[in-house]
Amino acid sequence: MTSSRLLSIGAPVAVGVLFLVVWQIICRVWNIPPYLMPAPSDIGASLMTNGPVLLHALRSTMLVTLIALGVSVVAGVLVAFLLVQSRVIERSLMPYVIILQVTPIVAIAPLIIILVKTTMPALVICATLIAIFPIISNTLQGLRSVDPGLEAFFRMHKASRLQLLLRLRIPGALPMFMAGLRISSGLALVGAVVAEFVAGTGGNSAGLAYEILQSGFQMDIPRMFAALALITLAGLVLFGATAALQQLVLRRWHEHG
Amino acid sequence: MVTETVTLQAVEKVFPNGVRGLAPVDLNIRQGELVTLIGPSGCGKSTLLKLIASLHAPTAGSVSWWGGDFSRVGSEGRRLSFVFQDPTLMPWSNVTTNVRLPLDLDGVPRAEAEARVLPALEQVGLSHAATRFPAQLSGGMRMRVSIARALVTKPDLLLMDEPFGALDEFTRNRLDEDMARLCARDGLTTIFVTHSLYEAAFLSSRVIVMAASPGRIYAEYAIDPGMPRDENFRLSNEFAAICRDLNALLSEVSHLDHRTEQAQ
Repeated sequence: MTSSRLLSIGAPVAVGVLFLVVWQIICRVWNIPPYLMPAPSDIGASLMTNGPVLLHALRSTMLVTLIALGVSVVAGVLVAFLLVQSRVIERSLMPYVIILQVTPIVAIAPLIIILVKTTMPALVICATLIAIFPIISNTLQGLRSVDPGLEAFFRMHKASRLQLLLRLRIPGALPMFMAGLRISSGLALVGAVVAEFVAGTGGNSAGLAYEILQSGFQMDIPRMFAALALITLAGLVLFGATAALQQLVLRRWHEHG
Repeated sequence: MVTETVTLQAVEKVFPNGVRGLAPVDLNIRQGELVTLIGPSGCGKSTLLKLIASLHAPTAGSVSWWGGDFSRVGSEGRRLSFVFQDPTLMPWSNVTTNVRLPLDLDGVPRAEAEARVLPALEQVGLSHAATRFPAQLSGGMRMRVSIARALVTKPDLLLMDEPFGALDEFTRNRLDEDMARLCARDGLTTIFVTHSLYEAAFLSSRVIVMAASPGRIYAEYAIDPGMPRDENFRLSNEFAAICRDLNALLSEVSHLDHRTEQAQ
């Protein structure tokens, strides 16, 4: 392992450990009750005892997140392709894409929960509405931001619209699309958690947001933090996965030497 | 045998913003010539090249390609290749696929296209880099790939728009020598835009000196095409004399520029 790699992994880990240690010491020295501010050890213990329930909730939340991300990718890319076809289509539809983006999803989530009777699709719709925008805007910009010299080259060789799309626009849009995917993966998780908060569904399909709500009602603050830690962990895994995917797909763009 | 390739008659270009890119220009490019266009910024040398490539349409006057309109140029007829200032390679494709691109776009069968890529790469000395990606190549090598992509169609006319402007002088000289050798061997008809009078002196059989505002042809300067264009040519007295003459013409053009600036 090189020293720069050691630094980029070791340094943040050291900061994290230090933070937890200081947190633990403060909680113990001032004797802060766990229902006000649990110490890391309390949260760890809660994670152990509530493990099965929390992991089940994590599964639900991740399921909603991943389905929403998948739908966002498919629908977002289709919308971007539609918008890039002509100025008229873009001019007429773009305002609505922006309206969709600026409307706080928390405000329309209750409506969706009421309109869509089944919980799961309702949650997916909410999360998708949050996650889809970066996919649309980034793919659109990627499809547009073609090297003008290369485009001239294609035109000089009388390339068809299909050739332009398949051999120039789509591969050229990949870096922007991948950047959009990274943002969307995080937003899909946010959307899933927000939707769960609003829906407040318990039972078999209870997600981590529901566990946080319940823990709050029961004053089980360590459990609340444990659920929060799992959401953060899920976010990190998603971020890491999309970053790895981006690296894999765009390797050829950046490879040197 | 027809010796004319491209003929421009009283071609004018006014851009949509009202700038006069080119005053009426007459130009006739003969088969097998290597013509360089040289002049200060804004003299319309790139504009002229793009008119010949049909990337721009003239505001007035006419351009003819082998005695006809641009439909003479295409996959069935005469071939025209363009090398841009930047290599304009596809970063997601390797060298072979980049060079094969014009053949693919013209609908040449894959096997035949593949077979033509390697000779084109050999011409620019890059046969060892066929599977590499643009990001793995130096600036000079990327430009060579761009030239191979232009040569792979076996063009009747090669248009080059300041292709080596961004390269260091050493690399530029080497590429110039390669270009001179390629053009002489295959009798390539080439129009070459450059900022460098040394490059123009080294490569051309005819130098067209252009003046700015509005862009126009100021003078033409013929160079004996028979002279061997190799490293020794650069050191010869003839080369020094050509450079002196071109330098004199270019300084006339720049004085002209100052006068128009003062008049405005």
